Amino acid sequence: MEKEEQLDKLRDAMKELERENVVAYTQQALDAGLDPLEIIDLGLLPGLTAVGKQFENEEIFLPELMISAMLFQNAMAILQPRIKAMGVAARKKGVVVMGTVKGDMHYIGKNIVRLLLEISGFEVHDLGVDVDPLKFIRTAREVKADIIALSALLTTTLVGQRDVIEALQGQGVREQFKVMVGGGAVTKRWAEQIGADGYAETAYAAVEMAESFVGSGVKPERRGI
Amino acid sequence: MIDLIEVFDRADRGPLISDQDYYMGRFVPKLAKVILRHRIQWDKKTIVNTDDDLADRVFQAAIDLLAETGVYCSDTSRVMEFSRDEILRAVEQAPREARFGEGREAKTMYGRSVDDPSRPWIHIGGGIYTTDEQIYLDTVEGMAAINIVDSLSVPSILHLRGKDARVRSPQELLAAIKTVILAREGIRRSGRSGLPIINGISAAPNAVSMIAAAAPQFGLRITDGFLIDFLAEMIVNYEALEKVAYFNSISANIGSTSTPLFGGYAGGAEGVAVLATCYLIMGTLIYRGSYHYNAPLHQNLRLSSTKPLLWAIGMSNQANARNMRYPTVNLPYLGGGAGSRMYHCEMAAYMLAVVPAGGNIFSGHPAKSVEPDSLLPWDHQFHAEIGLAAAKYTRRDAEPLAQAFYKKYEALLRSPEAGFRYGEVYDLKTKKIVNLEYLRMQEDVREEFRGMGFEVLPS
Repeated sequence: MEKEEQLDKLRDAMKELERENVVAYTQQALDAGLDPLEIIDLGLLPGLTAVGKQFENEEIFLPELMISAMLFQNAMAILQPRIKAMGVAARKKGVVVMGTVKGDMHYIGKNIVRLLLEISGFEVHDLGVDVDPLKFIRTAREVKADIIALSALLTTTLVGQRDVIEALQGQGVREQFKVMVGGGAVTKRWAEQIGADGYAETAYAAVEMAESFVGSGVKPERRGI
Repeated sequence: MIDLIEVFDRADRGPLISDQDYYMGRFVPKLAKVILRHRIQWDKKTIVNTDDDLADRVFQAAIDLLAETGVYCSDTSRVMEFSRDEILRAVEQAPREARFGEGREAKTMYGRSVDDPSRPWIHIGGGIYTTDEQIYLDTVEGMAAINIVDSLSVPSILHLRGKDARVRSPQELLAAIKTVILAREGIRRSGRSGLPIINGISAAPNAVSMIAAAAPQFGLRITDGFLIDFLAEMIVNYEALEKVAYFNSISANIGSTSTPLFGGYAGGAEGVAVLATCYLIMGTLIYRGSYHYNAPLHQNLRLSSTKPLLWAIGMSNQANARNMRYPTVNLPYLGGGAGSRMYHCEMAAYMLAVVPAGGNIFSGHPAKSVEPDSLLPWDHQFHAEIGLAAAKYTRRDAEPLAQAFYKKYEALLRSPEAGFRYGEVYDLKTKKIVNLEYLRMQEDVREEFRGMGFEVLPS
């Protein structure tokens, strides 16, 4: 089978969320001697991009998005040992630390953003809900994050986003990370007020913003607010 | 019905699993199965369902979902499981009416039936953020003074000494008390001091603040209504159950509240219809509610006026009206800003979808509920009148009109029209409307509605 044909099959299997085929075609491609990074870039990620588009167009929903992320992880479990043996690192668009701020227990919006970021090629460290402001910073430093993404649904928990930015400033590391904010109660005005680098109203806009933040390795100008 | 302590015990002894296992192992596959089993399908065109058998199947699917999935308690990581028999008994014993208010304002909200010509309960307002105490008082007074109104949702005012209160802080508790005191004072100034507040307490998301601000010294009564939320999706926590324990202990009206998310774990229209109906059953079984706040929402657009959501919301009302008749108000999260043409058209489509379906009236929350000071009493009077106009229609007659209204704003859903703030419309001293552009817009819209065959009579 031609290389292109194998990658097309894998991409289509991922797009159609064919659980067994994603794993089988990944293994077949690897056995046929394809470069594992090519399998990711030209097979798995285009399939995931198509899934993301379907989600954006409301043709599929969160459960399907979760399945796609799970399938990607299954395929990566096959590819990782080979990538490691090659002595290279899997390419990633960037590293994001995210969570719902202190006092807020809401997570669905955050989970959707996390999944879209993951299937777009970001390494995501999801700290969950009700997250202490200092934990965002501690984790971001540990994992050398590019972006800190803060979610808040309630008006009374919005201040948790400001706390993180103030703590970043207090520790003198504000310029090391791009900070994006989102969630039900967040407005463009609020994002501007607290000095966030970006405000995303939708999950897909959050991904586009994250991509712009890490694009070409240059720290971008403030945008989106 | 199983007693409340037994309900709480289920959160301590059900199967212990992670929330992800609950969703991917139980909720998502079971929801897909019950939708298939009961042949629930939206045709992607209809807004107002007229198929009674489909509405009944949605109700059966909701029972199956609750019986087969259970409810997840995030504090104990356990699934609260209920047998089909326990669920059916809760349905059978669900309240069909709720009594609110004091003195001459004391009235009964009923669970209506489909195509019911009776006057619906008229609830207006919203828990929207307010920046100024004077605007707060004037807004509440202005809404309470609308004489066709049966109950109010009062806005929230979260700042103390110029600073916003932080969640779980002592300031939040004090802000919640302040909200209650100001709300009751605003209502008293309208001359209708017995009028009930049924969104207690918008400024108190946590249990301690809510219970503290509910103390009678501050003005709330057991004949008002206290909202207790389910977390999306099908999650309860100890905080919610503590509120349930307290407000049941003082025999206050509890408003079980749910916000199933379109595009979230429930998926699309069919899933939201089944899940929203399931929450109604959970409201009576787990929270012992007197009434329900039904508030499905688009997870991305943050509004509830899309076509699939209008169908799903109406469908959950029909399923309830035909099988349980738990008193329900539906919360219209609308995209258009206060006073905008889009806002009123969304409201007309929403009311035509829910009132002939057996729901009660609730005025629209403008600008996705994120624009401060955007509750304008004149809008809410108009919306109450729109609801009353919708009550004259059967579902069959409402459908073409709902479609016509939907067409008027469909293209604006992703970028809704902006609207007005209180201070841009009302004179803060005389409390009169001084913005002629605003007034003209509403007059034009009323005329436009009449031209479409939907006459909204001034009250």
